Amino acid sequence: MPKYDVAIIGGGPGGYVAAIRGAQLGGRICVIEKGELGGTCLNWGCIPTKALIASTSVLRYINEAKRYGINIKGDVEADFPAIMERKNKVVATLVNGIKTVFKSYDIDLIKGTGSFLAPHRLKVTLPDGSTQEIEAEKVLIATGSVPAVIPAFPIDGKKIISSDEAVNLKEVPKSILIIGAGAIGCEFAFILHELGCQVTMVEMLAHAVPLEDIDTSKTMDRELKKRKIKLYCSQKVQKVKEDADGMMLATLESGEEIKAEKVLVSIGRVFNVKGLDLENIKVAQGRRGDILVNDRLETNVPGVYAIGDVIGGIMLAHVASKEGIVAVENALGGNKRIDYRVVPATIFSNPEIGSVGLKEREARKQGYDIRIGMFPYRALGKSHAMGEIVGQAKIIADAKTDKILGVHIVGAHATDLVHEAAIAIQHGLTAQQLGDTIHSHPTLSEALMEAAHDVHQIAIDMPKKN
Amino acid sequence: MGDEGYKFHKEHLWFKAEGDTALVGITDYAQQQLGDIVYVDLPDVGDEIKKDESLGEVESAKNLSDLIAPVSGEVIEINNDAVDDPSIINKDPMGEGWLLKVKLSDPSELDDLLSEEDYKKLAK
Repeated sequence: MPKYDVAIIGGGPGGYVAAIRGAQLGGRICVIEKGELGGTCLNWGCIPTKALIASTSVLRYINEAKRYGINIKGDVEADFPAIMERKNKVVATLVNGIKTVFKSYDIDLIKGTGSFLAPHRLKVTLPDGSTQEIEAEKVLIATGSVPAVIPAFPIDGKKIISSDEAVNLKEVPKSILIIGAGAIGCEFAFILHELGCQVTMVEMLAHAVPLEDIDTSKTMDRELKKRKIKLYCSQKVQKVKEDADGMMLATLESGEEIKAEKVLVSIGRVFNVKGLDLENIKVAQGRRGDILVNDRLETNVPGVYAIGDVIGGIMLAHVASKEGIVAVENALGGNKRIDYRVVPATIFSNPEIGSVGLKEREARKQGYDIRIGMFPYRALGKSHAMGEIVGQAKIIADAKTDKILGVHIVGAHATDLVHEAAIAIQHGLTAQQLGDTIHSHPTLSEALMEAAHDVHQIAIDMPKKN
Repeated sequence: MGDEGYKFHKEHLWFKAEGDTALVGITDYAQQQLGDIVYVDLPDVGDEIKKDESLGEVESAKNLSDLIAPVSGEVIEINNDAVDDPSIINKDPMGEGWLLKVKLSDPSELDDLLSEEDYKKLAK
């Protein structure tokens, strides 16, 4: 029976990163993965959607070429199968990349489903049905999550789909109803809209991207409306049924009906503990069956850790990766705690969203006296030169200390720009310190510098406020 | 009510009665200040607008501003041509660039509106 220092169940952004870090620390590591390395992020989520967005961005620029003085002579056509093929190639390249790194570190990759026989003995069911046993000093559970479903109308994979099917569509639907206007719903809304699909959205809360800061939500509401994407807010879909003509008919709680070719359910994700046989190790689980861990990512069972979407919390790939690193360091003798104070969130809508730290409502609720600085993209030279004037940078600072509490950017390249803010918050910088740093001209990052100045009402490229 | 010509609101919108209903739009001063308008966000037909409150937004290369309703009432028509091609608003803000057709809910509000002369004093 092969014996490892750490056996990791799940090879997604949590598991595979933990494996590499563990190997760097000299541990003998194996990863049990039933699908492909990279997990949901690489195969069904983050990467596929960004690859699709790259294609639709090209399409968008072509459709707007005249604005930039470029005339397209002839037809322009989006070859959807080719777009999907490119996405598949990107994914395959990255999966192979991880395999190459694994080989260089001598990490054993076992294809199969892992389950517990005992806290340090795992059973792996291989694709051909045979089983294998593995012994490990420590075990790290990183089995991720699956799309949440609405029981009244479950996913059928054809007419009612989740993001898993959406990234593998065979053709662009003529119309779609997207339930849930969070990050996933919005990204698909923009992708499908660009490809000519008529998109309608229903959101339970009051705005698009409702978990973001209010000004981000307002901008997103407006940008969806501009594209004639009808967004029903503070509404729920009560039932969905197939019409005589094969279209899907959704009924809202208000009684209103929406007809569309397909329905995409993007209301969130749920932790996945299926097939782990957790009862064999009597690990402490929450009311809903979620695995409970402390701030060292240990479960109540000595030597068993859990990280990533399976423990709930902040369900983001980079959080899973960070948790994976902390957990494996602890598994190999370290004593690190996980710190969730600075977790950037990035949404690849159009315009992009990049946020980190507290939202305005959170800062107020936590009792902070705050000062807000805002700087619109349309006051920036680079935005106009680029022809992307939508958006703003918003900085929330503690009025007492001037420390930056939260930053919310909507606009071109927001997903990259937010990291300047992440560093600022991580190291307790003040709005004045950020504003004092020279930012190159003409760049979009000047929006952050000017927003920091605006916290003190001294932004340069904005008219004087009364 | 009759045809009373243009009346103005201090937040740079105009109002023109046409029988039972009225047209609402932004003034020439407003479109000049805004610069090239790229998008106008209007309420839906059937929505209520309230005097002195925001009825929507106008977005230009320079600015994103609220449109403040000059009167209260029900929106019975919106100018889809202006929504599809906002440059119409810059070109002819008082005519082809009208934004909404409204059914007044409180005719007494008309007394608060400014005459063209009084508005011109504001909008220099």
